[in-house]
This record gives sequence, structure tokens and C-alpha cells, in this order.
Amino acid sequence: MPVLELKDIAKQYNKRVWGVQGMSLDVEDKEFIVFLGPSGCGKTTCMRMIAGLEETTRGSIILQGKDITDLPPRDRGISMVFQNYAIWPHMTVYDNIAFALKLKKLPSSEIKSRVEEVADMVKIGTMLSRFPGQMSGGQQQRVALARALAVRPKLFLMDEPLSNLDAKLRVIMRTELKAIHQRTEATSIFVTHDQSEAMSMADRIVIMKDGEIVQVGTPEDVYFRSADIFVAGFIGTPPTNFFYVDVKKENGCTILDHEFFKAELGKEDSDRLSGYEEIVLGVRPEDFILNKEGNGILKSQVLVVEPQGAHQVVALEVEGNIIKTLVPSDHSLRPGDNISFDFDMRHLHFFDKQTEKRIS
Amino acid sequence: MDNPTGVLSREQKKKIIPYLLIAPVVIYYILFWLLPVVRAISGSFMSAPADEGGVFTFGNYTALFKDPVFYQALFNTAFIVLISVTLEFVLAFGLALLINMKFHGSGMFLFLALIPMSLPAVAVGAMWTSGLSTYGWLNSFLIRIGILNAADKIIFLGGGHFAKMFLIIIVDAWQVIPSVMVILLSGMQALQPEMMEAGYVFGGSRFKVLRKITIPLLKPTITTAMILRIIAAIQIWLIIVMLFGYNRLPVLLEQIVLNVDKYTGSEAFFRKGMALSVVVSLIVSCVSFLYLKVSGAFDEPAGKGV
Repeated sequence: MPVLELKDIAKQYNKRVWGVQGMSLDVEDKEFIVFLGPSGCGKTTCMRMIAGLEETTRGSIILQGKDITDLPPRDRGISMVFQNYAIWPHMTVYDNIAFALKLKKLPSSEIKSRVEEVADMVKIGTMLSRFPGQMSGGQQQRVALARALAVRPKLFLMDEPLSNLDAKLRVIMRTELKAIHQRTEATSIFVTHDQSEAMSMADRIVIMKDGEIVQVGTPEDVYFRSADIFVAGFIGTPPTNFFYVDVKKENGCTILDHEFFKAELGKEDSDRLSGYEEIVLGVRPEDFILNKEGNGILKSQVLVVEPQGAHQVVALEVEGNIIKTLVPSDHSLRPGDNISFDFDMRHLHFFDKQTEKRIS
Repeated sequence: MDNPTGVLSREQKKKIIPYLLIAPVVIYYILFWLLPVVRAISGSFMSAPADEGGVFTFGNYTALFKDPVFYQALFNTAFIVLISVTLEFVLAFGLALLINMKFHGSGMFLFLALIPMSLPAVAVGAMWTSGLSTYGWLNSFLIRIGILNAADKIIFLGGGHFAKMFLIIIVDAWQVIPSVMVILLSGMQALQPEMMEAGYVFGGSRFKVLRKITIPLLKPTITTAMILRIIAAIQIWLIIVMLFGYNRLPVLLEQIVLNVDKYTGSEAFFRKGMALSVVVSLIVSCVSFLYLKVSGAFDEPAGKGV
């Protein structure tokens, strides 16, 4: 049985604008779910509805079999880490973490041991008597985490908790959060707009756009089997490159025909595309394979080279569009060089030109 | 010497400029603040102006402290301050919380609630004098809506000592609650809403969150609002004079005005008034200091906040 069920929940603002429309989702026990999407897609609104900080206009939220849609936040058994931490500056770290436990009227020895346990888990065990104003942003973030962990919630919500940290600390916290999740096994929902954060942390990613779910799947699902052009363009850095191509039959083979290239498809892909005349082809940057002989499928000139260490991002200009490819660093390339690529035919993405959905 | 201007080195100039910039303010304060204060203090220890043969004396103060009206005024003022500041604070805080909920029409409500603040004290006095007199609009209104019999008009202004004080407290509250409310409201709106939301998520009821989170976070604002109100309440007088006249409900400031301004021609009363004004200043300073001390405004801040 799922821990959390969202049944067609929707949020309307001012009786006009829909922030979230008709969202349904089952979250399994111990799962780490990430809500991913561009700003304004409704992911935070959805999380706030689950927390009870935002009224749900329609639909129901069921936590461990109990309908919590209209309960006040305190009766939901949920804890949350806020984007700006929202730890209370007038209380010591200890009092911040112990706040919920004191309200639950736990015995003080129990409170003390729980506070110390979670404080050690997030490595602020020596700072319990400090005030938040005497701590760095990263440490305040840890206080917010400890406070949320201390209540041992049925569901653990995190609203872009890493977005206020600097790039280096963000990557460190990512790993620590994942380790904490593995240790506590708390069912978690994590909101972010950073796709690499989502990919590296999630058991399943919920990709949202304009208040609706576009795709739910494992990181591998959304990356290798993107549901539509939006997902393929949103996931991955650099994002997927798109080409409008015609599907043609030549000598019994299916050919993708583009002004700059022609690609011959295998049997399986040919079957998938039967009946289509025009499609959108998606090729991920790493699926361009450099052809050293110069007679690959796509021939062009190097526009820009961006070294990344182990590999380099090579940008080309095809039909006025910038195409980004990943090339190992051992090929020295300069702007203006002639370059030729083959496609990794196993990983091509085909999308319907009208609906923009994946053709499968 | 390497000194092109021949007067000041660059270093010296740099040091002088800040003093030049604050000089106008310093001069203003000396002329319009320090000088009157010094003259009032020195004047309160003189029997008459020095050029008219005045000599140093404690007589003004002994006259003041022997006057039973002074103690009455002291008690009345203290009573009004205590009750009115408490009442105003509680009501203003409630109103601010209400308006801060941003319900439909809260903007209009805020506008209406602010009207009393825009009226000068004299207009408020006139309004309530005409309202509270036996044939005033308040009685007419109560009779018109049928709460009151025409024969049982309430004689608002004819009550006893404490009835008078409570009437003053109500009228004063009516006028100043909006200003206290605006200060508290601005403080509330400066708080991050997540502070309170976190309180709700972590098990707090509305009341718990208010007591454990909102009020402690509002403390600097509350201190500001209270200190302004306490000082203003100690200085209450005009509304009392307008409703009851002089010497009916003696309070400190009214006694100063009475002695200095109304008993014209008598040097002794004038000097007593000066002494009283020095005493009132001392009281205001001491009360303010005590309040700030007790509220912890002088304490080392716990941290730079979030």
C-alpha cells in the first residue's frame, strides 16, 4: 500500500488561475521522490498542499490510509525543510530542534536524546547552545534538517533546501542528504528545479510543467525514455538536441531525412516509425560519436569548444540552431575545424511533431 | 614642506570634513534643544529672572512637593498610563493580527481603522465633547436606535473620579490604537511567513505559534511601539482639558500648562510650572529607561538573526 496517495489534487488561486491541476501520484514506503520542474510549474504549491500550508481546492491527500486533506498542518505527521530554512532566530539550536518534541509533551530525557541523535546525524552536535545568528548558512541548513528529522515524520518534505547554498556545499549536502535518507528510511519528497540534483538523489522523479505531471519515472526512465520533447529538453546537461526530420523509405530501409544529414534506421526503429512522415528527432550530446575519417552522418564546423576536464562540449551550428555534443578531451578541436559525427543509433529519441509525445 | 594649499594637509582635511558635515545638526540641537533644556532647569531653581533680582532657591520644588494636587496628578497620570497603554496594546495587537490575515476587504478595513489617527487631538476633543455631553450625539444615537429611553440620558461627563479616568482612557484609546496598530502591523509584515508556517508544521496551534514565535520575533517592534505610547500617555492633557476643563482631573502635563500659562502674572506659579516640567522630564526619562532595561533592549543581541 502506498504511504502517500495524491488523488487528482488541484489548486486554484483567486478563483481564476490554476496553480496545480489534477495531480495524481502514489508514493511508496521509504521512497525518495523528487518534484522537478521549471519555476512556476506548481511543484512547491503541491508540496505546500501536502504540508497543509495551502488549501486544496479539489481532490484528496491520503497519508497512510488516512484522509488528511482538510487537517491542520500540526495533525498531519509531516515535517518540512523550508527553502530559507525558517529556523527561529530567538531560540537556541537545541530549542529549535526540540520545539515539536516539547509540544508533543515527550519526557525531557527522551527529548534530549532525540535532539542529540539528530544533531550528531547532521554534524551540529557541538553547536546546540548556539543561536542561529551565530552560524553560517550551511550550518543553519543543518539545523533545519535536524529539526525536521527529530519528529520522525511519516513523510519528510524538502522545499528546494539546497538552493541557498554555494555550489560546492550543495554537492556535499546532496550526498549527505542521500546518506541520511538511506539511514532513516523516511519517505521523502524533495522539490527542486535543478535536474542534476533530481537525477542524483531521486528514486523516482516527478516532472511537472504548468501545474501538471508530465512524467513520473526513475532517473533512467526520464533520461533514456523521456516522455516528450519538454522532458528531453529539460533533463541532461547540455540538453537534448532536436532536429525536424522527414521519414522516408529508400530501398526497403527507413531513412531520417534532414537538410544536413540522412540517417538509416534499423529494423526495430523502422517499425516504430511506420505511419509517420515527419517527426522530431532527439539526440543527446553524448550520443554524437566523433567520426575521425570525416565521413559520418552529420558534417559541420566547430563553433565553440567548452573544455570540461574529462570531456569537452563542442557546439555546432546546424540550420541556424546550436547543437551541443560531448567529445572526449583527447581530440584537440578549434573553432572552424571541420567535424563529422555518427549517431549512437541505440539511443535516438523520436517524438510526434504535433503532440510532442514520445513515439514508442 | 609638501603642502600645496599651505593651510591643511590632505590627512587633516579628511579628518575635518565629517565634523563640518554634522555641524549644522549640532548647532540646531544646541540652539533649539540643549539651550531651552538648560534654561528650564536653571530657571526652575531661580525665584525670578536673574536680571530682575532672582536668586537661587529650592523654593519652587518645595512648593510643588507640598501641593496635594501634584500627588493627585501623579497618581492620575500613572493610572491612565498603566491602563491605557495595556488596553491600547492588546486591542492594537489584535487588530494588527486581524488585518495581517489579509482577508477579503482587509485593505478597506485598514483604511477605516486609520481614520482616528489622522485627526488632530483638538478635533478629537471637540468631537467627543459634543458626543459625550448630555444632549450630545452619543445619547441621541443610543435613543434613536432604541437602546436608551429618552428620559434616561447618560451623563457621561458627570461621573466620579475613576469614571472620568476611564472615559479619558477610552477616548485616548480610540485615537491612538491605529498608530500602535500600524507599527505592529509593519513589524508583522516584515516577518518571514515561513517562520510561522514552520511553527504550524512542527505541531503548533495558532495560539502556540503566536506566543512562542510571532511575539518573540516582534519584540523589537513591540518595544518601539510601547515606548512611544508610554511617553505619549504620560504627556496626556489636551483631551482632558477639552472634556472636563482645568483642574477637574489633574494630570502632570495639564498642571504644567495650568501653572505656566493660565495663572498669568504670578511668578511663583510660573516657577512651580518650570519645576514640574523638569520633574515630568525626569519621570519620562526614568520610565523609558526602566522599560527598555526590563524589555532587554540593552542586552547583547543573541546573533545577527537569520
